[in-house]
Amino acid sequence: MPDPSADFDAILTAPPVEVSSAPSARAGGPLVASTRLPPFASPAEATVELVAAPTAPSLADFAENFPLYRDPVLAGTFAGLVLGLAGVFIVLRRAVFVTAAVSQSAALGVACAFLLAIYTDVELPPVLLAFVFGGTGAVALAFGTPARLPREGVVGIVYLASGSLAIIVGERISQEAHDVASLLFGSAVLVRPLDLWLILGVGSVATSVLVALTRPLEFSGFDPDAARVQGVPVRGLEALLWLIVSAEVAVTTRALGALPVFAFAVLPAFGALRLTERLPACLALAALFGAVSGGVGYVTAFLLDLPVGASQTAVATVLAIGATVGSRWR
Amino acid sequence: MTQSPPLLRTRALEIGHGAKALLPPIDLELGPGEFWAVIGRNGCGKTTWLRTLLGLLPPLRGAVERRQGVRLAYLRQKGSVDDLYPLVARDVVAMGTLRSGACFGRSRRRARNVERALSLLGAEDLAELPFRTLSEGQRQRIVFARIAASHPELALLDEPTSAMDLVAEREAFELIGRLRQQTRVTVIVVSHYIELVADHADHLLFLDRDTPVVVAGTPQRVFDHPAFVAAFGASPTRGPAS
Repeated sequence: MPDPSADFDAILTAPPVEVSSAPSARAGGPLVASTRLPPFASPAEATVELVAAPTAPSLADFAENFPLYRDPVLAGTFAGLVLGLAGVFIVLRRAVFVTAAVSQSAALGVACAFLLAIYTDVELPPVLLAFVFGGTGAVALAFGTPARLPREGVVGIVYLASGSLAIIVGERISQEAHDVASLLFGSAVLVRPLDLWLILGVGSVATSVLVALTRPLEFSGFDPDAARVQGVPVRGLEALLWLIVSAEVAVTTRALGALPVFAFAVLPAFGALRLTERLPACLALAALFGAVSGGVGYVTAFLLDLPVGASQTAVATVLAIGATVGSRWR
Repeated sequence: MTQSPPLLRTRALEIGHGAKALLPPIDLELGPGEFWAVIGRNGCGKTTWLRTLLGLLPPLRGAVERRQGVRLAYLRQKGSVDDLYPLVARDVVAMGTLRSGACFGRSRRRARNVERALSLLGAEDLAELPFRTLSEGQRQRIVFARIAASHPELALLDEPTSAMDLVAEREAFELIGRLRQQTRVTVIVVSHYIELVADHADHLLFLDRDTPVVVAGTPQRVFDHPAFVAAFGASPTRGPAS
């Protein structure tokens, strides 16, 4: 069983380390990051050695050092696949910014977990509080919009309130720990084995449920009143969808960062919706675009010495724009 | 009012948003195979009444009693269909086959229902076309096929012909009539087109929020009512629309 206290111990005892946001770094000439990361350890525990490389990073260098990059590549690819799939339902419900608000709520949950551990000795797994906070935010946004307030306004309030609280709580933690941003949001460069397993496990469950419930979810989004009248459990389906999204966002935000998670949940679906008139094909395309964005984005970051999350987002954007342009020739 | 046991009955039903009722209490029974049209001026509470019958809005007072296990279908007002969805017409019709406890997979029986519904509405040639590219009349045909695929006992249609020209309107009412003949479904239609409903409906429900009054009965009884005459003038001519 993973030991959640490893995170807290790491914060309190680890010396400051500098981890580049790119998988390789240049210092005069290109450098290759060599990383040692014990199982279930936090990024703060990583030791990073920068080894001088004689030439610019190439695909051959990447292939040669692939065991170092395997976990983050796998995490990014699988997260992209699952969020791409879920993103179709999110975009069709015109609720893309709910994902951003959920991501902030999840970060607040992580911050609260560390705060509790530091000040009260109550040690809860950060990902659990991330899910509780994110799930509460998602379900509240899906069902609890007050009358006379547009949902976008409420999403904005949740986003800002969670974001500001996460920073305030993060400040309290930062007196005790370094690199708070990567603790709250992850960096996508280094992925702990525990985070990888969570991404694979939660993602597999999420994919199975979404595929099995594709038709009812489609009906409940397309015409919720008619679906309810026919006896389809619309409210239950909506609650399930947002709980799945918040669980996926909680585990992926913690591992990869807020930016790529938001990008995976929006851009692949946007591109896929331009290319097909069938929902199953749309889901498959969005999952493919998401997976390609996660994997190719990491490799691109390695080759061009870019921040990983931004590189993954850029690849997803290029695919979405390409799909939009390509749809004109259909 | 009807010989067979009613599908739906309202007892002193008061509808509205907030505390104040829009209309006087309504007592009504809907029997199998009947065709009801709900008429009245804008904002008189037609949609609110329909949504209260369906359980989408709570009644302010009184009760809606539905026969145990009655199968319902609902078509909401035009304009609420989202063109973002990647659907072909057949997918929309297939939504009619989804019910509580029958949401998974694609059984042969459900596929047969979809084909039968498309055929009943003469929409086989539209089946593989993207729903968002269809004309208003074609979309209406497809959503009626969705209703047929759900095998309802009671179908509630909220202004199904709004935003249509006169020819398309007439065609839509003929499709509703065909649906009713073939499936023996009870139909309630909210409509502004009094001449058309006078041609097709067996019963009218006239709602007037100003008087306020609710009149239910045969078209002639409603057309002769002083409140109707005060609101719309002389009763419309039955037969081919003027």
